[in-house]
Amino acid sequence: MNLTPSRRGLLAGAAASLAGPGLARAARTPGGADPRFLIVLCGTGGCSIVDSFLAVRESESANGSTLNAWPDQLVQSPGGGPFRAIDFASKTIGAIPVPFTANQSDFVKRHGQDMMVATYTGTSVNHGVAEHRSVTGNAAWRGRTLQEAVALTYGAGKPIPNVHLVNGVSFTDRGTDDSLPSSAYGERAPSPNLWPLSLDGRKGVPGAPDAKLFEAARAFRNGTLDPESDFVRTFGDSVRLKRWLELRGAPLKDIEGADLITQLMVHSDSEDMPLKASGLKSSPLAKKVREAFPAYGFDPLESQAALAFLLIRCGVASTVTLGPETSAVFNKGAALGRGGLSAGDMRNTPIAFDFSHQAHREVQSLMWSRVLSVTDRLITLLKSEELAGGKSYWDHSLVYVATEFGRSRNRPAGAMTFGSGHDLNNGALIVSPLVNGGKMLGGVDPETLMTYGFDPLSGRPEPGRHMTEPEIFSGIIQALGIETPGAGLPDMRVMRRKA
Amino acid sequence: MRMPGLFAALTLAVMAAVAVAPAVVSAQEAAPASTDPRIKFKDGERYLRDLSETFEIPRDEICRELSRYDCSNKAFRIVLGGVDPYDARVMQPLDQATLASPIAFDRVALQVCANRVARDRADPAKALLFKSAAGRPDRAWRDALTDRLYDRILRRDASVAERDRMAAFLQGVEGRTGRSARGQSEQTLLACFALASSAEAAFY
Repeated sequence: MNLTPSRRGLLAGAAASLAGPGLARAARTPGGADPRFLIVLCGTGGCSIVDSFLAVRESESANGSTLNAWPDQLVQSPGGGPFRAIDFASKTIGAIPVPFTANQSDFVKRHGQDMMVATYTGTSVNHGVAEHRSVTGNAAWRGRTLQEAVALTYGAGKPIPNVHLVNGVSFTDRGTDDSLPSSAYGERAPSPNLWPLSLDGRKGVPGAPDAKLFEAARAFRNGTLDPESDFVRTFGDSVRLKRWLELRGAPLKDIEGADLITQLMVHSDSEDMPLKASGLKSSPLAKKVREAFPAYGFDPLESQAALAFLLIRCGVASTVTLGPETSAVFNKGAALGRGGLSAGDMRNTPIAFDFSHQAHREVQSLMWSRVLSVTDRLITLLKSEELAGGKSYWDHSLVYVATEFGRSRNRPAGAMTFGSGHDLNNGALIVSPLVNGGKMLGGVDPETLMTYGFDPLSGRPEPGRHMTEPEIFSGIIQALGIETPGAGLPDMRVMRRKA
Repeated sequence: MRMPGLFAALTLAVMAAVAVAPAVVSAQEAAPASTDPRIKFKDGERYLRDLSETFEIPRDEICRELSRYDCSNKAFRIVLGGVDPYDARVMQPLDQATLASPIAFDRVALQVCANRVARDRADPAKALLFKSAAGRPDRAWRDALTDRLYDRILRRDASVAERDRMAAFLQGVEGRTGRSARGQSEQTLLACFALASSAEAAFY
């Protein structure tokens, strides 16, 4: 029993009815003649722009000793472009005796031409509220998230257009625009390494019948057993039951038909993942992905990034959301409490960037380095695969490093280790060939370390102006080529590649 | 608490009536649609605990992905409506089913049924679901299988119409499975899966 038309039809139809002719055109071409991919990388806890690409040297600020201006020698200007970078090593992270080395300048050297930093000032220092606003632009477009807007425009024909890989954050909360088709909303993939197993009802199940018999049983259930049961007759109007029965139709066929249990399987056959014994196998791209993310087996961010690449490369999703977990992550085999941790053993600080409350500079450096390293490897993978016409997947992609807020700027005079609070003022990192790359939009006042805005058409810096969440949201939407008739979004021309 | 005499007598009368009522419900009794159809998803853990009891398979053996990962606690915990506050920081069950939820549910239902049927084949004396027909599988064999499945999975009797439908299905797949004991066990597995993954089994 198929209670609804296919999701592809639903997507295209809903897009056409909701968003006017521009969006309808995009949705009529399954997969998109000119597809776009949005990667939202969540900098949970407040990744601070003045601890990275807008860092200020102590010598540049009259208040440098009591503000978070960095020692001159630690602030790099890689490649002579507009972006700064902090390369920093420390023997501790606050009170935690774990040495680390962090590097931002390599990323700037490799991807500076695709980087765009846009300053802005948010509206909440509450984690959950600010996280959600960072992806809805504070409800700039009827409350839909960036991911939902991308799934709606570019998700037609994809089995799972919008996949959320990171847990426990509000960057992945559903937007408040209830008018979207259900397939535009995020699909949670809570454990990337095992999640592909949930994408096929039969393959790899010991003693399973052959596919035709299995489908015969499903057809009996869907076409006879359920619709003629007293249970469904009684509760058939339940929203939960309707959705359940709908998902068993075209969505299930799309997912199983794409053999995602294989295509998305990063693991090789091993003691931990005995695939062969279950008649399963790895993705044809798995070896390449494992080489890029060798810690995929134990580091949640690497396992998310590995799956994120496959989701895009295999045509499964048009947007993926990933990010550092808020639990501490250590190297495999790291010996806690036996004489201290070795260099680099702590891969992820507890509560991610928010551990800046305890050790601002160390945490910002380590976590920025972690986020940039994963982004770099993801970009490298996307560049290595051709989508069409000599263009790579990366040529069609945009990485938005979303975060809640910046951090407070003050510090005890001359201190290297100190804690910070939340601050509305910050800036966003966007990396993409689709944006006006190599641009620093806005600037920073060296006497306060607060960022200021820019003219949205020309990009001219405007001290005293503060860009808003809706403006950043609009800039990303427009760079992705999403048409927004009637939405009333501001023209952020300078953020688009052809500004 | 002591029951008043009249109430106790009435209760006993109702219980006696139920006890002597025919085991098969009349096909004419169509259920009316609820005006307030509120149901809950029987999440993975509740589902597996129920089937563990009724299929007489220890909870930790009933469903393991790749022979290692418990289907509910590990492999499909969130997808099947669970929470994981400590590791994944998922504090609340998902508001609604994900695209993967019904697929994972099918997978779990199939594993559980395959597990029970394999045990039945291995030890026919203790078989619960799969019992070989004495001769060729006939309507009586199909009805007996249907009764066992409804009793074990849905904890109720099958109606006449439900017996008819299941018999038609089993007869329909017999051409592919064959009539041998192997074929009969495969029919048992398919019927078990269909019922164990039905809406009535998934929700309450």
